[in-house]
Parts: sequence; C-alpha cells; structure tokens
Amino acid sequence: MSNLDSAVTLLDGAVRLTVPLGFAACGELVAERAGTLNISVEGMMLGGAFASVAAASAVGQPALGLVAGALVGMAIGWIHGNFSHRLAANTFVVGLTLNTLVLGLTGFLIADHQFNQELIDNTSIPGLSGIPLIGQPLFDQPWPCYLFYGLIPLTWWLLFKTRWGLEVRACGENPQAADVSGVQVNRRRRETLLWCGLMSGLGGAYLCVCETGIFNAGMTAGRGFIVIAAVIFGGWTLRGAILGCLLFGGADALQLTAQALGLHATPELLISAPYILALLAMLFFAKRNRAPAALAQPFERGLT
Amino acid sequence: MERSSTDLTIAGAEAPRASARPAVELRAVTKRFGDVLACDAIDLRVDHGRITGLLGENGAGKSTLMKILLGLVEPDAGEILLDGESVTIRDPKDAAARGLAMVHQHFSLIEPLTVWENVILGEKGGVDKAEAVRRVLECGDRYGLVVDPHAHIHDLSAGQRQRVEIIKCMVRNPRAIVLDEPTSVLTVNESRELFDVLRRVVREEERAVVLISHKLDEILHATDSVTILRHGRVIAQHPDSSQMTARQLAREMVGREVSLRSEAASLGILDAALSAAVDAAPAAAEQATRPVVLSISGATAITKDGRRLLDGLSLELCAGEILGLAGVEGNGQVALQDLLSSLMPLSGGAVEVNGRRVKAGRPGAMHRAGIAVVPEDRHRCGCVLDMSVAENLVLSDVDSYTSSGMLNRHRIRQRAAELIEEYGIVTPSPDAPFRSLSGGNQQRVVLARELSQRPAVLVAAHVTRGLDVGAMEYVNACVRRVAESGVGVLLISADLEEILAMSHRIAVIHRGRIVGEMHRTGADVERIGMLMGGEAA
Amino acid sequence: MSAEGSVVLAKRRPAGPRLDVRWGGLGRTVALYLASIAVAFGLSALLVQLTGHSASSAFTAMYQGSLQDGGALATTVDEAVPLLVVALGTIVANRAGIFNIGQEGQLIFGAMIGAAVGLKVGGLGAFGMVLTLLASAVGGAFWAGLSALLRYWRKVDVVISTLLLTFVAFEVVSYAVTNPALLRETKVGGSITAAESNMLPDSVQLPRLGSPPDFNLSLGFFVAVALAILVMFLIRRTRWGFRLRLLGLNRTVARRAGVSEWRMGTTALLICGACAGLAGGIMLTGTVFRIQAGFSNNVGYQGLLVALVAQGNALVAIPVAFFFGALRSGGGFLATTGVPRDFVDVVQALLVLAAVFPPAFQWLRRRRRATQAPEPVAPQAGEAAA
Repeated sequence: MSNLDSAVTLLDGAVRLTVPLGFAACGELVAERAGTLNISVEGMMLGGAFASVAAASAVGQPALGLVAGALVGMAIGWIHGNFSHRLAANTFVVGLTLNTLVLGLTGFLIADHQFNQELIDNTSIPGLSGIPLIGQPLFDQPWPCYLFYGLIPLTWWLLFKTRWGLEVRACGENPQAADVSGVQVNRRRRETLLWCGLMSGLGGAYLCVCETGIFNAGMTAGRGFIVIAAVIFGGWTLRGAILGCLLFGGADALQLTAQALGLHATPELLISAPYILALLAMLFFAKRNRAPAALAQPFERGLT
Repeated sequence: MERSSTDLTIAGAEAPRASARPAVELRAVTKRFGDVLACDAIDLRVDHGRITGLLGENGAGKSTLMKILLGLVEPDAGEILLDGESVTIRDPKDAAARGLAMVHQHFSLIEPLTVWENVILGEKGGVDKAEAVRRVLECGDRYGLVVDPHAHIHDLSAGQRQRVEIIKCMVRNPRAIVLDEPTSVLTVNESRELFDVLRRVVREEERAVVLISHKLDEILHATDSVTILRHGRVIAQHPDSSQMTARQLAREMVGREVSLRSEAASLGILDAALSAAVDAAPAAAEQATRPVVLSISGATAITKDGRRLLDGLSLELCAGEILGLAGVEGNGQVALQDLLSSLMPLSGGAVEVNGRRVKAGRPGAMHRAGIAVVPEDRHRCGCVLDMSVAENLVLSDVDSYTSSGMLNRHRIRQRAAELIEEYGIVTPSPDAPFRSLSGGNQQRVVLARELSQRPAVLVAAHVTRGLDVGAMEYVNACVRRVAESGVGVLLISADLEEILAMSHRIAVIHRGRIVGEMHRTGADVERIGMLMGGEAA
Repeated sequence: MSAEGSVVLAKRRPAGPRLDVRWGGLGRTVALYLASIAVAFGLSALLVQLTGHSASSAFTAMYQGSLQDGGALATTVDEAVPLLVVALGTIVANRAGIFNIGQEGQLIFGAMIGAAVGLKVGGLGAFGMVLTLLASAVGGAFWAGLSALLRYWRKVDVVISTLLLTFVAFEVVSYAVTNPALLRETKVGGSITAAESNMLPDSVQLPRLGSPPDFNLSLGFFVAVALAILVMFLIRRTRWGFRLRLLGLNRTVARRAGVSEWRMGTTALLICGACAGLAGGIMLTGTVFRIQAGFSNNVGYQGLLVALVAQGNALVAIPVAFFFGALRSGGGFLATTGVPRDFVDVVQALLVLAAVFPPAFQWLRRRRRATQAPEPVAPQAGEAAA
C-alpha cells in the first residue's frame, strides 16, 4: 500500500471514529458549561447505539435509526436531569447507575434478538472530495457526517449567541448570581442534559448506523469517558473539545487500521492508546484554570 | 403594569407616574423559618420620590423582607401592593417584570462575563450585542456611572462593580430600587457619589428607593424617612429622618438605651467612634515598649494568571496592641487572612512570629507558631458545618486529645463543655450539629477554639459581620480583653467605625500593600478615606 | 475561590439529601423505601415479561441461586465478600472527599500481581497465601497511586484518571495473560494454551470452613468482616480518621488545622486501591484460582455502588454487600431460565436508583415546606483585581 493511500486510510478512519465522539462532545461541552458534570455520556451513547440499530432494523431505514438514537439519548438525559437537578441526588451516583442500567438493559435485549444490518452509504461531495489527502476522508462519508460538520457551528451559536446559552454559561460560573438575576438554574441544567443526551445518542447511533451496522453488548467501550476527557483537555472550549476528539479518534483509528497499514504493534497497546493518550493530554496540556467555576456543584437556592 | 425590558427613560418623559399611592406597600407580611419568626406582620410603605431607610440590626428581618419583595422567598401571610394593586411575586424574573430591582453586593454579577452580558442577564428575548452595549452606555451617561461595557467583571474594582449593578437595575426602568448595605465596599468618596446618584434617581425620576442599613450615619443623612425593625417587627416609622437623632435611632433599633461611645463600632457612628478614640489615648503611649509578636516583611503573592494578591506588604504587630486594618474590600484582606492561615504560599517576603520565621503555605504552620485566625467567612473556612460543636471546638488541637493515635472522646467532651461555659455558647449539647447554632453562637465557637490555644497573635476579620448588637458587643469585648492579656490583635474590617472604636493603631491596605499607618489618637478620617481610595495623602 | 484555580471537578460534597429518620417519620421512610424497591422489582419483572420470558421463573431462579439453601448462601457470601472489601476502601476515600471510580481496574491489576506472586510461592504454605493477598493489595494500591500522582502533581481529576486507567488496566492484564513469557499458562505436551494463567497451587488457596455443597465460609469472609470493623474504628475513633473526615468536609479548615491535603489524599486513595486489589486477591485465592481477562467481572463497579448506597457507613455496607452478592449469585442460576445474565445488572441499577430516590424525595418535600436557614448567610467578599 502506498504511503499516500495509507495516510488517506488512516485519516478516513480517524474522521469516522471522531464523528461519534464529536457529536457527544458538542453535547457534553454545553452540559459542563452549565455546571453539570455528566458521567452518563457512556450510557447515552450506548443507548443511542442500541436504539438506532433496533429502529433501523425494524423499519428498514437506517436514517430513522439516528432519530431513534437521539430520542433514547434524550430520555436518558431526562432521567438524569430529574434525579440530579430536581431531586438533588448525587450526580455521580446517578450517572454511574444509568451507565450500568443501560449496559445491562442493552446487553439483555441484544442477547435474544438479532437485528438486520443497516448501514448508511457514503455520500461523496463532488469537487471537495477530490482534494488530495484530506478530500476523501472529509468529504466522502455517510451524510450524517456532514450533519456533524453543521452541528459544530450550531453548538457554538447556541452557546455564545443565544440568550439560552448566556444563561447556561451564567449557571456554570455562578449559579447564585444567576438565580438572583432571574435565571432558572436547575431548569437550564436539566435542559443541557437533554441536549447532551440528544447529541450523545446521535453519536452512539452514528457509531452503529454509519460504521458497524450491528450492535454488540458494551460496544461503546468507554468512549463516553473519552469524550469527557476531550472536553477537559480542550479547556471547555468547543474548538478544544473537537480537537481532543480528533486526537483520540485518531488513536482509535490507528489501532483499527494498524494491520492494514503494516504496523506491527501489540494489540493491547493499540487498544489502550486512546485512553493513555487522553491521560497524557490532560497531564500536559489541560488548561487548568478554565473550568466553569461551579462545575459539579449542585445548586439549591439559599445554600451558598 | 408590565414593563418592557427595552424601555429606557432617557428624557424622563416615561418615568413612572408619581401617585398618591405608595410605590410599594407591604401589609402584614409574615415569614417563618421553622421555629424562627423572621418577619412578623410587617407593614412597610415606600413612596415615590423618596428614599426610605430600613434600619435594624443583623437578624432583624430586613434581608428576609427584601427577599420576599424580590421573589426569592415566599411569604406565609400578608399582602404586597404595587401602586395600589395587590400582586403575587413568584420569582426574581417576575419581580423584575413588575419594576422591582435590587442592587446586590455580592450575588448578582458573573465574573467571567462582560458588563453588557451581565446587564442583560435575566431579561427575555434574543441577544443583541450592539443594542445592549448602547443601553449600558446610555444608562451610564444618564446617571454619571462610567463603566466599559466590554470589560469583564473580574477586572473591575468593587466600586465599578457596584456601578454595573446599578446600571443593571436602572435599564429595567424600575419603579422601586432596593439597596442592601451598599457602602460596605465603597470608599467615602464613592459613597458620596452613590448617594448623589440616588438623589437624582429619586427626585428627577420619581422612583422609590429603599436603603437598607445598620449604620445610623447613613440613615440620618441619606434617607428621607426611616422604618425600624427589631426581631422581625416594625418598631417605629419616622416620616422625616432629619428630625431624628442618632441616640433615638439607636435606642429604637436595639431596644434599650445605648451608650453611643462604647458601641460606636456596632452602630456605625463615626463621630462617636472618634470620641471613643480620644478616651483610649493613654494606651497608645505604652506601645513603644511592647515586643513585636508578628512581623510581615515584603510579602508578595502572585496568582497563576499574574494577579498580585499581596504586593510587598509589610507590617508589625506588638503584643497587647490592636492594629486595625482599614481598607475597601478586595484589596488584599482575604489574601492576608489566607497567608496567616497557612492557606497561601508566598512568592516573596517573610512572616515571623516572635522573631521566628514561619513557612507560608505549609498546612498548620501558622497555627502552630501561635497565630489564631477568626476568618471573615466562617462558614467557608472557619468551621465545619457538618461536624458537632465539640468537634469544631477541638479541631485545631486534636493532638492534645489523642493517646496512641486514638481520640479520647471523654476528654474532648469535657473540654468542649468547659469552653461552652466559658464563652457562653448556647447549644443543647456538645454533640449537637454545628449547623444548628445561631450565627452569634457559631462565632463564639470559632472564637473559643482560636483563643483557647493561647495564641500570640489573633487575626480577627470582619468578626462582627452578620451578628446582632448584643453578639457584637460580646465579640468586641472579647477582642479587647484578649489584647489586654498580651495578645497582638490584627483587626481587619471594612467598617471604619469599628476600626476607629477598637484600634490602638490603624493601617490602611490598598492593592495588597500597606499605604499608611497612624495612631488612633491622631487619626484623620479624611486621610484614611483617601488612602483607602488609593490616593496619596 | 482558592488561589490555585485547579481542575478539581468533585470539589465539594453536595450537602443534599441525607436519610431522614426521625421517629415520627420512620414509618413513612420505610414505606417509601419499600415502595421504591417494589417499583424497581416491578419494572424488572415487566422487562422480563415483555421479552418473552417468565418473571416468576426468573425471580425464582434468582432466589434458588442465592438464598434457598446452604450452598446458595455460601455462593452469596463468596460474591458479597469482595464487594464489601471494595466498598470499605471506597468509603475511606469518599470520606476524604475523593471520588475514585477506578476500582475495577485496581482490582484486576492487583489480582494480576497477586497471581504473579502466588504462582511462585507454592512451597511456602499458608505464608504463601498471605503473600499473595498482600501482593494483590499492593498491586491495587499502586494502580490507584498512579491517579494520586496525576492528581497531586498535575491536578488531573481523580474521577477521570481512575476511569481511564481502568481501561488501561484491562489491556495490561490482557497482554500479560496472552504472553507465555508472562502469565500465560504453560504448555503441556502439544496442546494449545488458553489466554489465562496457570491455576494457583493448593497451598495458596484460601482455606474454607465447611465444604460445598453445604454451607461454607472462606477465610475471605472473616477478613472482610474484620476489615469492616477496622475501617469503622479507624474513621470514628482515631485521630487519623478525624483528620480524614475534616479533609472531606472542609478542605480549607483542614489545611488550616495542619492536614496536608496531598498526604492525606494520597493515603486515602492508596487505601482504596489496596482494598480493591485485596478484593481481587480474595477472588483469586478463594473462588477463581487463576487470572484471565474479564476476571474482575464488574465487582469493582458494584463494590463502588455498595459504598454509595451505604452512604459511607462501613457497617451498613455489610448488609448492602450481602444483598448485592445475592443478586450476583442469583444471576448465576438465571441461565437455566433462558434469561440473559445482564438482567441482574438491570435489577441492580434499578435498585440503586430506588435506594437513592427516598432520601432525595424526602429532602425535596422538606425543602418545599421552606426550611431554609433563617439568617442570611454572610456574603463572601470577592477579590476584585487590584
């Protein structure tokens, strides 16, 4: 395989594996900017993945799988939001438990059922996909990938140009001040969890309906946590988070395409590469001072 | 009467109409928290075109009443009328929509955001940056409040932040504005400017202003009428403040005859504080012979983003003297407290206690060297809310109650009982949760703990904040007694009155360094004010 | 805001809902718990029915596997013991305000180290067994120590680092057991070896009181109970425990009082990791006898959940661990009914949510009756830039 071909293959793999992470990162970023540290991203992605395959198989339309995945992700976000920001249960407990619940539920359901494989084909954008080296990886992908490209500026707009985004950011920095100014803090936090669920579910759905076509128990394998690491590594900015996802997605791709590329490396090393990379990234490059001041601090009126 | 958030009275043509009806009227408003009756059938009347003072000591119910008015707390009973119309205020957004606004001190601005973003926070509709900036500038011009709409709040001084708070209120064209102890963060000049702005707002625009304060001076000079609260009830209402004297106000506020001199600190009466200073003159003469217990030289502390919390701060404290540290909040007082609590390392300079150097930033080092600290934010760093009273009393000295690694519960409880008795702490038992104590008693616990260690130095920061007059008296007496027994006291306070009444010597802190020192006897209030504001004097 | 500005995500324990057991409300509290648990079981039953299985046979099978007779009880206890040990370590860390969620990785890494040692010390008798357990604890502590290093040297949050290290631990163990030079089982004749270690020598295995199929208890049970008492004692009665709690409740006051955060925090994390490793060692020497990928089998995560459900109380953790152990051993019997084993995870997660719900609900109702602090909290002075 020529060097150029190898590079293109690698880049293609990197983009394909970045997209699911990126979807979820757009969601988790907004949630963390609101001050809620959502560990249930893993469960949201996994739930979205399962729902997408189930729906796509049932109806025969892979595109519908995306919708189903997003909805299931939102449902998980709804449960999490109400336990954490209405009932004020410990958000880590709720998040971890939801992950376990989704893992168990999906494992349980897939054990007995078989779904048809449904994949969305690539759609090549004429002209752009002809660009050497990056043209094919970026512009010859299943159409939801282009949806992802559009969602990045949408997320930016949502967070920085709308009133909702302004209030969300206020909740993450100083919920007491926001409350006193008339912002409904816990309500905004619940809403960001819904958004996170939507996006993470979409990410999980993408993983199935655009990548593998089938669902395996526990297939997200910790990607949800890598998304959290990406947000931290990126200093809670959108650009940083997407870059982080690209980094980790790239490592993931390296692992999958290693053989095709003629790389001989221990499989375990390759599999653990994204996680180690995430740790190293946070070790050396995390912008420590930029965390939303009220991150992971629950808010109750009257409690300073 | 709904108000659109884009209304802006530039010409004054759309100002709220002055009516015979009061802008705000509270009738028999009652609020109970568990066993405590915070507000007991309170009647309050706030008229258009006047500044109404709300006077009362800490705990009298002023804050709760205003929280009710602004939608943060729901009353149990009573009626609220706005321009004669009975309303129910559901939440802060609702209150804002009805034309009620509050100038908060610490709770309403989001630091990383810009001025214009903070000003429009809480309104409805889309975000139009150009429009918001324009409104901020226009409002600022109108009231003479200079502020950069694009600045981030964390870059602004306390006085500038208050301007933003006021602009945030005024852009919503409120019918009534509440100011909660506004001058605690201001220099004397800034306070004067503030009251000028208020007078304009009130006279020219016929709005209503409520000024909450526990300082008699302010009430006497800045308000038109005054209502006095005590223990949640309205004790008196005086339609003309100028007819009152400080003595009368004090008596009504506290409920008994008050010696203005000895309690000048608690009551915020500048003149009385100054004359009290004269009385204590002899003490100053002995200072020269006392040993230096605390010496800070050239202390510098720089944060990661380059902000200088302390900038070459130097001071010396002698045994038995009370050194009052005056300064506007936010000029390094917290950093100094943190330094002396082993919470902050230094990038330069040194701290010495009784001649021996103490390493800054090492956990517990300052305490072991003999520095006791009663911090300004006792909930955050003075005590552990979730431990018992006994545990809070012994937590800095646990080693004394330990044998071979195990806690001696019996001895701890014994010691706690001793301290509870000695300091008059009101608690059902030593094992009661600390949370359940009242503010005054919590402060006593902190004092008891710190003082029982026989320290060489006591750092007392805003020790009387949030306490009623009785508790304040106790604390101040305690501080004086401790000083008499030979402990060096560093008294940090934003209350000039408190400092003048209590200190032997006064230093002024500004931007992380000491900019002036003087003995109390020759204390020149004007000079202190200027130093606090950063002007050379 | 401290002058450090660190990325510490789990900064403060939320003051939120705690179990409210007053005499008048005790009945209501119990009723609320029963109702929650009933709903959890009800939903589980519904799930089973909807997928074409019989709920009653599923639950019956679970009962048979866990509580029905001496043998089942023994299995339950065997499952509960490592959960309890993990939970105890977690409780110590939580009291210091540290939220370690990497017990799974620490457990398997510790077990791997234990296996490496155990395979070599067959000739030392009971001492060899002790060494194996110790090695597992040290292994687990080491793995947790990595997170402590990351946290106190570079301010990387414990939640994320322990999580990511778990996945790395899986790969490390996987590598070790597929590699003949390391732990892979030795070839006998021309057979193909499996990706797992040799079986531990008999002398290293935990002795048992009684023997299957009757009721029996391994030494691990006594170790776990002793540990529970030790932990309770440590936290409540010692000076070290006092300072641990102080750190967890209020970092600032702790520092002022001389508690070094990094020393205490690292110790707590190491203890947590050691317990997870020890749990792995107990599983290794008590029930599984060899190390393989997938060895940890969710014990780490579930031990963490036990600690959370027990709300940090070491003695309460014992019955909770027993209950979770019963679910696990009951799950072993599910295969006979055709219901996939994941069902147990579902039931467990629903039960944790059910356990979390009552205190949260009660707290909400109390707040609705407006019991905020009566006095206004003194405002915090902000540090405006000079």
